[in-house]
Amino acid sequence: MFLEIFDPKARPRPIGIDLGTTNSLVARVRDGKPYVIADCDAERLLPSAVHYDARGGVVVGRQALRLAAEHPRDTIVSVKRFMGRGADDPETKRLGTYEFVPPRTPEEAKSVRFHVSGDKVVSPVEVSAEILKALRHLAEDELRSIGGAVITVPAYFDDAQRQATRDAGRLAGLEVLRLLNEPTAAALAYGLEKRQNGLFAVYDLGGGTFDVTILLLDNGVFQVKSTGGDSALGGDDMDRALAGRLLAEMGARDDDRALVRLALDTARRIKHGLTEVDVVDVELPVAGGGEKKVSITRAELDALIAPLVERTGVACRRALRDAGVKPAELDGVILVGGSTRVPYVRGYVERLFDKPPLGDIDPDEVVALGAAVQADLLAGEQDRAGEVLLLDVLPLSLGLETMGGVAEKILPRNTTIPAGARQIFTTYADNQTGFDLHIVQGERELAADCRSLARFVLKGIPHMPAGLARLEVTFRVDADGLLSVTAREATTGVETKVEVKPSYGLTDEEVENMLLAALDHGEDDLDKRRLIEARVEAEQVLGATRKALAADADLLAPAERERVDQALAELQAAVLGERLGSITARTEALDSATHAWAGRRMDRAVAQAISGKRLDDVEKDVATAEGVDAHVEAHAHLARPGKEQG
Amino acid sequence: MADPFETLGVEARFDLDPGALAQRHRDLSRALHPDRYTGAPAAERRMALGRAIDVNEAFRALRDPIRRAEALVRRAGAAVGETSEPKPPASLLMEMMDAREELSDAARAKDLARVGKLAEGMRAREGATLGRLGVAFHAAGSDPAKHAEILPVLGELRYIRRFLDEVNAIEEELAP
Repeated sequence: MFLEIFDPKARPRPIGIDLGTTNSLVARVRDGKPYVIADCDAERLLPSAVHYDARGGVVVGRQALRLAAEHPRDTIVSVKRFMGRGADDPETKRLGTYEFVPPRTPEEAKSVRFHVSGDKVVSPVEVSAEILKALRHLAEDELRSIGGAVITVPAYFDDAQRQATRDAGRLAGLEVLRLLNEPTAAALAYGLEKRQNGLFAVYDLGGGTFDVTILLLDNGVFQVKSTGGDSALGGDDMDRALAGRLLAEMGARDDDRALVRLALDTARRIKHGLTEVDVVDVELPVAGGGEKKVSITRAELDALIAPLVERTGVACRRALRDAGVKPAELDGVILVGGSTRVPYVRGYVERLFDKPPLGDIDPDEVVALGAAVQADLLAGEQDRAGEVLLLDVLPLSLGLETMGGVAEKILPRNTTIPAGARQIFTTYADNQTGFDLHIVQGERELAADCRSLARFVLKGIPHMPAGLARLEVTFRVDADGLLSVTAREATTGVETKVEVKPSYGLTDEEVENMLLAALDHGEDDLDKRRLIEARVEAEQVLGATRKALAADADLLAPAERERVDQALAELQAAVLGERLGSITARTEALDSATHAWAGRRMDRAVAQAISGKRLDDVEKDVATAEGVDAHVEAHAHLARPGKEQG
Repeated sequence: MADPFETLGVEARFDLDPGALAQRHRDLSRALHPDRYTGAPAAERRMALGRAIDVNEAFRALRDPIRRAEALVRRAGAAVGETSEPKPPASLLMEMMDAREELSDAARAKDLARVGKLAEGMRAREGATLGRLGVAFHAAGSDPAKHAEILPVLGELRYIRRFLDEVNAIEEELAP
């Protein structure tokens, strides 16, 4: 393989990470099959627990979990529930064992902050980065070099939560190839394993989040039809409901951190026990000394969690309606997430979808396996890249605030991404020279009730009477779900563009500084990393271009072919050297030498897709297919196979 | 926006086969989705992104009978869009106002059964109106004047759609 040219020993391999509320996993693909990477004790699940000790040390995983009972404040479990959440989020008020730092500035109020041992203040992004670092080390032990990671997120995560996850990945020194929605990841792993086509529902109830996704599997295309959920609903809430009951039995107050930790842990053990048996007995310490035996039956647990589970039904019904699907039309229901082991949940899902859920997959591992598959595809690791494709959707509507504070939806939820839409607005006052744009996310009618993503102003509109200006606002969402917004006044051509980087995310500079502080040799390491990254990208471009030459060289005029060959050779030479600037410049040169050709190849791919035939049949079909002729006119640079050459 | 029929390479007609349309969308996504171009040069990736967006947007337009009808009228060269179309007859406006009032009464009373019944009636009407549209497009051929005659039916469909959108919002709000 071409990558071995520069380092045969450590070819970077992509990994998939399930960053869960309760447990996290890392997986990779080997010989075309995904599997979870185990640690030296053969454990595959890393508890998502991070302990901060008094000397500034950090302990992650099972060991951290063991320290939680003694240090409830300094051991953060379920940090995922705080990702992308502001300091005043309701989650901070629920039953728990942490000390939250009150914000002193609006900047600080954007994120929850924990006070931990050693008088340290940490954010959920930093805590999550510790978990990701532990997974990275685990993967590095096996792979030596990591070539990017796909990290999964709940489908119903909003932009702030996604940005926080991406930041945590970068902070852990990972190149985040994609944030993949958890139910989609599960469907990918399941669908590839079973090689089955049809319409499926994925019901994903984890430790802290709930997702439902309806998707169609069609010969390697995984098309999400709709998704919905609740990003603050999961097994933790069941534990809390039961822990409340236990604390009452103990006569304990809910501000005693050690007892709250004990109650939460005991509740979880009881919940786990009740999946197998009908009653679980526990000994609880009581106020004033002594112990007390308490029996909890499955019926009691069911009654406590029923209202929580019922909330998942609302999201499921909405997802079915958005997809235009009736339960009877589903070919199967896939259960994901540890909380779907609870018998009451299984029964509820069966009633809701009117069919027993599929039980032959491990609900803990399937998401990580799917992430590994997607990472493999995105890194172009195998030929399967030509067969498998994920078509995902926007989980939440994107819109603009208009007159009266109403949120006008520009791209509604469940639109397939990448997506784009344009809307025309006008001025409402005479001689209005500026236009405020407020971009929001969410389903609520009023912009103030939605999540604010960005604000910007289009300036320089000439004086005109109200209603005459034509303001074109274009929304574009790429395959990563990242939004960019362009506003243009059509009568004058005045234009402004913003990439919507949510205001609460870390800037590239901040992440770089944090990374610098963490690396042993600071600047040197960072330069080395940049060089390696540029090489990897250059190798990819070289590989893609050679592959394209093998398939579509006939679409190049002789002079163009000469330029492409030359650019290829020059980049090849640059990659062998040590100069970052030369590699990036040659990559760009190859980029521009292949640009026009790329358009023609895409036209050919479209023609093939439309005719549904192999390459040799394209030519005659292209001539007869009406739709393609129109397309050809629209893309004047198209060269049909074998024609318009030289 | 470019003509969605051309972007998807399908015949420009109102009664498209939804299954075949969805299949075409998947086939084109296979050819153009940016994930297919991850190792490619940056300009090529941008190009794939733009074209994948066009395909997704065209599919979204053609799946929606109202936008599909608008695209057909536009192709025939007639002006389309509520601001350039003739005003709907007063009788339709009155009728729709009454229906909306009845719906909000049912919503205020949290009477889901009544909402469901009103929705059912309106869905039947939607079906009939779609049928009328199909016939009208068939009859219109490529005559722009005849396409202009279709506009009132399209206008009615928009009112029906808004009513059903409202039903969805109410049902979501009142859902147990």
